[in-house]
Amino acid sequence: MVKYRTKKHGSFVGKLQSLTVVDYILILFFLCFAFITFFPIWYVVVGSFNLGKDYAAGGVYFLPRIWSLTNYRYVLSSSLIWQGFLVTIGRTVLATTGHIVVTYMVAHAMSRPYLRFRKFYTPFMLFTMFFGGGFIPYYLVLNLLGLLNNFLVYIIPCLFSVYDMLVFTSFLRSIPEELREAAIIDGAGEFRIAFSLILPLCKPVIATVLLWQVVAHWNNYFDSMYYVTDSRLYSIQYVVKTLLGATSVEGNTSMSPEDLENLTGQTISFAAIVVSVLPITIIYPLLNKQFAKGFMLGSLKG
Amino acid sequence: MVGNRSVCKKRKWSMRDTELQIMVGFGVVFLIVFNYLAMFGLILAFIDADNTLNIWGAISKFEWCGLKKFEAFLNDVNFWNIVLNTLGLNVLSLLVNFPLPIFFAVLINEIRVKWFKTSIQFFTYLPHFLSWAAFGGLILALINADTGVINAVLVEIGVIDKPINFIGDPDYFWAIIILSNLIKGIGWGSVIYLAAIAGISGELYEAARIDGANRWQLMRHITLPSIAQTITLFLLLNVSSLLNNGTEQILIFQNALNLKKSEVIDTYVLNYGLGWNRYSYATAIGLFKSVISVLLLVLSNAFSKKLTGRGIM
Repeated sequence: MVKYRTKKHGSFVGKLQSLTVVDYILILFFLCFAFITFFPIWYVVVGSFNLGKDYAAGGVYFLPRIWSLTNYRYVLSSSLIWQGFLVTIGRTVLATTGHIVVTYMVAHAMSRPYLRFRKFYTPFMLFTMFFGGGFIPYYLVLNLLGLLNNFLVYIIPCLFSVYDMLVFTSFLRSIPEELREAAIIDGAGEFRIAFSLILPLCKPVIATVLLWQVVAHWNNYFDSMYYVTDSRLYSIQYVVKTLLGATSVEGNTSMSPEDLENLTGQTISFAAIVVSVLPITIIYPLLNKQFAKGFMLGSLKG
Repeated sequence: MVGNRSVCKKRKWSMRDTELQIMVGFGVVFLIVFNYLAMFGLILAFIDADNTLNIWGAISKFEWCGLKKFEAFLNDVNFWNIVLNTLGLNVLSLLVNFPLPIFFAVLINEIRVKWFKTSIQFFTYLPHFLSWAAFGGLILALINADTGVINAVLVEIGVIDKPINFIGDPDYFWAIIILSNLIKGIGWGSVIYLAAIAGISGELYEAARIDGANRWQLMRHITLPSIAQTITLFLLLNVSSLLNNGTEQILIFQNALNLKKSEVIDTYVLNYGLGWNRYSYATAIGLFKSVISVLLLVLSNAFSKKLTGRGIM
């Protein structure tokens, strides 16, 4: 990103020699900084591998004192965790797919110059970005539709978003109109144009919206907290949240009494945190790249 | 946007039009149900449906009560407390969490060792992608009174005599929110500014360097002025959401002990509306907030147009 330094240094040593004191101060500063942001994650990973009873005595900071996998054994034998994973994976896959299909379709129609009633649709959609009913009326709408305590509450209310539609339309406008005109002359219908012709060209913007959605769905716990009471429908992050404050350990028949005695609510919650963020951290290198690109798309605005 | 009206009007309705209407229809139906129906639900703020389980019955009976619910909110014993918490948290958060990512972006841009820069970005962006349930859990572990490393360090260096239960003490709540937000968001918050910096023409720097400008001068006279517009836009965007708190974040750290400092408008609506079945009252509070938010947005937008020639909406 530093465009103004084009000089290439031959070797690694040459590179180091060309650095000034300021460079070293900067490097030191950012090392400290990276430590501050990364240490909390490390800290909890360490705690999750430590024996619960021993951890409660305090003093476990940089490395586990008494290694133990009991926290993970407990977490991975808990049906709440597995159901949470299932619910979260289900909602992430279904809602993301649905969201992209619906939002892309609306965006396609809205980007057609010959769409009828467009003068009405545009303000109709934009208005919702600035004003809304607030939480309680929204909750009552979900109630009216029978979505409360229903798996579909994770999916149906997430099928469309005006913001993402604007991201799509601004990208669609950059695709030459001649392409569609040719298809129209060939007699292709709008669905065919949208999904067979234009969709493959939208890969970058779709990848961006897809990752936004995946991260948002994976990380959401609010929906489970307020729209769902059946614990079988809890998403994984809400399960983690409920474990955060837990002080006691619930009985788990698959574990021996000695193991249960060594567990604490705190270290169990650590193991649950680690397990729940693992999928996100695995795809994180990909996210990191794609999101930075997406930032530019998002800032284009419709 | 080249829609030619006169041609449109004369054109006969074709299959193509039907197809497009179906496509748009999905979005329109969605918005009618989840946005406009909810907006219609705002009438709840003007009729009395509190403390009743049959909410639809209350709406159909339609006992108009005017602005009673709003008055009740203004006279609520908690009114000033939650308004001050909301504004205080957001203003402080703005003061800390708005400038630091800019600082971060400008400084990281100065790092010349490419692989080091990429690795720093890799590690500092990571917390942004974690959920608040998980990241909040990390922070809670760090500040735990019995086992947390923060207390241990503070006791060790003699700042405090005995461990403090940070999460149970209202006085520390704002600091927890702002600092955890900072750690989670600073790296990622700098991305937009890094993108703006990447867009600056290299020739500008080249010319300034030939004129003998040093690193500091390049930063001060080229980098910062070039991203000034982005900074203004984001500042105003932030101002327009002064009444919105990160609910998912606050709900992680909020507990009965720190409620005095942790109750903000958004959580008050949740706790009152759902917790106590006071639907009308909570709707009125939500509407109160929405109206002020829209005003803030309109003002910010006007400012933005004046300062940068570009609206934020």
